[in-house]
Amino acid sequence: MSDPRDDVISVGALAAEGTHSAGDPPAGIRRVPSGVDGLTTEHLIINMGPQHPSTHGVLRLLIEVDGEEVLAAETSLGYLHRGIEKLAESRKYHQLGTLMDRGDYVSGMHGEQAAALATEKLLEVTVPDKARYIRTLVAELTRLASHLVWYGTFGLDTGAMGQFLYAVRDREVLLDILEEISGQRMMFNYIRPGGVVADLPVGIEKKILDFLTDFDVHLEEHHALLGGNEIFQMRVKGIGTISREMALAFALSGANLRATGVGFDVRRDRPYDAYPDLDFDVPVGSTGDAWDRYMVRMEEMRQSVRMVRQCIEGMPEGDFTAKVPKVIRPAEGEVYASVESSRGETGVHLVSDGSPEPYRYHYRGPSLFACQVLEEILPGHLLADVVMMIGSLDIMLGEADR
Amino acid sequence: MSPLLIVVLRVLAAIGLMLANGVVLIYMLRKVLGHLHVRLGPMHMGPKGVLQTTMDVLKLLTKEDVTPTNVDKVLFFIAPALVFVPALMAYAAIPFSETWRITDLDTGLLYSFAALSVIPIGLLMAGWASANKWSLLGGMRAAGQQIAYEVPLLLSVLPVVMVVGSLNMSDIVAAQSGLWFVIPQLPAFVIFAIAGLVELNQTPFDMSEAESELVAGFASEYSAMKFGLLFLSEFSNSFIMSAIGVTVFFGGWMIPFVPAEVMQPVAPVIFMTKVYIGIFFMMWIRGTFPRVRIDQLMQLGWKWLIPASLAWIMITGLVIKVWQLGPGAS
Amino acid sequence: MLPDATAVSHILTAAGVSNAVVATETLGVVCRLEAASVLRALEALRDGELDFRVLLDFLGADTGEEIEVTYHLRSLTRDEELFIKATVAYDGELRSVWNIYASALMPERETAELLGLSLVGHPNPKRLLTTDGVEPLLRKSVPIRTVEEVRNR
Repeated sequence: MSDPRDDVISVGALAAEGTHSAGDPPAGIRRVPSGVDGLTTEHLIINMGPQHPSTHGVLRLLIEVDGEEVLAAETSLGYLHRGIEKLAESRKYHQLGTLMDRGDYVSGMHGEQAAALATEKLLEVTVPDKARYIRTLVAELTRLASHLVWYGTFGLDTGAMGQFLYAVRDREVLLDILEEISGQRMMFNYIRPGGVVADLPVGIEKKILDFLTDFDVHLEEHHALLGGNEIFQMRVKGIGTISREMALAFALSGANLRATGVGFDVRRDRPYDAYPDLDFDVPVGSTGDAWDRYMVRMEEMRQSVRMVRQCIEGMPEGDFTAKVPKVIRPAEGEVYASVESSRGETGVHLVSDGSPEPYRYHYRGPSLFACQVLEEILPGHLLADVVMMIGSLDIMLGEADR
Repeated sequence: MSPLLIVVLRVLAAIGLMLANGVVLIYMLRKVLGHLHVRLGPMHMGPKGVLQTTMDVLKLLTKEDVTPTNVDKVLFFIAPALVFVPALMAYAAIPFSETWRITDLDTGLLYSFAALSVIPIGLLMAGWASANKWSLLGGMRAAGQQIAYEVPLLLSVLPVVMVVGSLNMSDIVAAQSGLWFVIPQLPAFVIFAIAGLVELNQTPFDMSEAESELVAGFASEYSAMKFGLLFLSEFSNSFIMSAIGVTVFFGGWMIPFVPAEVMQPVAPVIFMTKVYIGIFFMMWIRGTFPRVRIDQLMQLGWKWLIPASLAWIMITGLVIKVWQLGPGAS
Repeated sequence: MLPDATAVSHILTAAGVSNAVVATETLGVVCRLEAASVLRALEALRDGELDFRVLLDFLGADTGEEIEVTYHLRSLTRDEELFIKATVAYDGELRSVWNIYASALMPERETAELLGLSLVGHPNPKRLLTTDGVEPLLRKSVPIRTVEEVRNR
């Protein structure tokens, strides 16, 4: 009779399929030996996703567990790959925004903004003040909407159903406002090279301010509903800790990076659009666990509310777009432009050869890097923590797979 | 009427009660959760959606019963029955009023708990037979947590039994004519409520079917009426647990300071109302709380609830002894 | 934001990397070097005084003659960014830098599969986004269907 242990495939074995020598792992990375240990427990390989209810879209994880404890994990991507980078090579410059909307589909404005900023860098146009303010306004509104989705699904991941629909209720109002501004709820295609596509509709300022008046109260309610819950705190405190070194090694950005205590924010450190004129704080955490990530994102929402108010108060008069030719033919060159999206640094690396279409278009999705760090932080935790950690990193598969 | 006929009628009554309860509770759950979540719940089938669950039952009955290829067919088939039958058995000892009950057992309380404690075997069987790793994990969790919490659950009602001196549920109710046990026995009730929620696989302890972790736990591979039975027994269990709680801690069919003659005709209504209020609280918790982790759950059980319930048993015993020696001696 | 180009070349020469050309372009400070010396250069830049601890991004582009790979480095202590460029021949080998920057793990897999390179020294050199048999999509020689082709399909 064959040894039953032969049937046990280890994730490590899956990983080493190609027989290249991997070399020594760098500092801060541990590889848990997989297979069967001295005790007679049989390890289980669980295939989590892409049809699992809480893998935030189509993330697939191969998890090796000993009972409930995760020993090794492998992230498998590509279930939402649409070839955005290849498609962009046959699009005109002002069409890039539509592709970016479908990348990170929960915070589309940030992708559009990154594409527009990159094109403007190539074109060397100056964006009118009003357009800068409108862009910042819609970007912050989108950040609120996106963080509300994160907040709701994070609760669902920990098993709390209650607060999800409260978050969605607020998001619905936000999406209505964004729809009134751009004509679409999520696939906006509003921010174009040179400015925005249309001026703000009449009376939208009052709607936004009315919403913010409610939202100030609702946000504290949200925090009390989830963050104030003892069980939730028990679940997230000290779990999924990412050290500062690990965060830098894996190039994390956004709230995931700031929760580890590294205070880098593209809005402050690489200012674009109206952010240099605004007064806002960049919240940082200290320990880098799931609770810190939660607190940083909640504080980001408060800061976004502040910024939206400042944008409305300081909204200048003028044009909403610069004079940009119908068919954009930028000079030959290569640029990198990035924005602080809801999930981190969304960057666009654009190579132009002087033709109306980009020569090479690269989209840096922060979630791709968050997916990588997932493999590193999962081992040693329990199966129940896996979904919680996916939620706390706020992974968006649309921009990881592109 | 022959005695056999009476027994058959009583069993049929229990089944009828259980099914009716299931339908009502599912509707109630949807509406309560809906309103907790700032939405309406079912609204389309019938006025205010009251026919929604009826339609769901019809749907479950007429659906194709899928048996996956690799399942252990015998166990896969038996498991829902093994979950459903104990849930039905537990109805036998519950007193709806002084005369309304299926049977009057001297060990009624013990019997109810004994019936409920068979359920983990069925859940483990369902998880094991499904040939699905998520089901297996769910079944294992269900068995682990339910067996672990049998102990504090039984220990939590023991002080009440010590005070009453009987395991008969009617006696326990009769002993509460002056004061509900929830007041002198508050710590016991708190332990009972927590352990009861765990036994029921209810949020925040719904580890065994944690939809965000284990897809649907032990029920992942079940479809049609087999799934319906698993689903129904869950609601039936919450009814029984609430009924036991009401009987032991909230005076069963009685209301304090109201003479028994006035209560007698409406006793079942009072009892059912109390039970439903208990279930409402469970749904409230379900709609609000996140889920604890399995290791935290086990620590809570073994490190806190069992020692606490043992300590409370000792305190109750001391008080009873002091009472017998002192004021109650004469 | 822009690092001192001479400081970068000093570090590279000290590390024994020859033929490195450091220049300021529209992209920023770009350092072009041979593919063989990328590992040594990156290690020196990470541990050197410029403290480029983060590999922010990694990408490849088909220049029409060969594949050009770009390493986007960032130093948070000095708030500077540097681009390292190297070229790899078609069907050439892409040497993994994951020992130096763990963040390269997935972008390298993606670049290797979408540009048809073979990945060397990687712990998990599988395809990341597409299934086996899909042609290297980001090559300029791989066309995507035009509107007419889709319509007449």
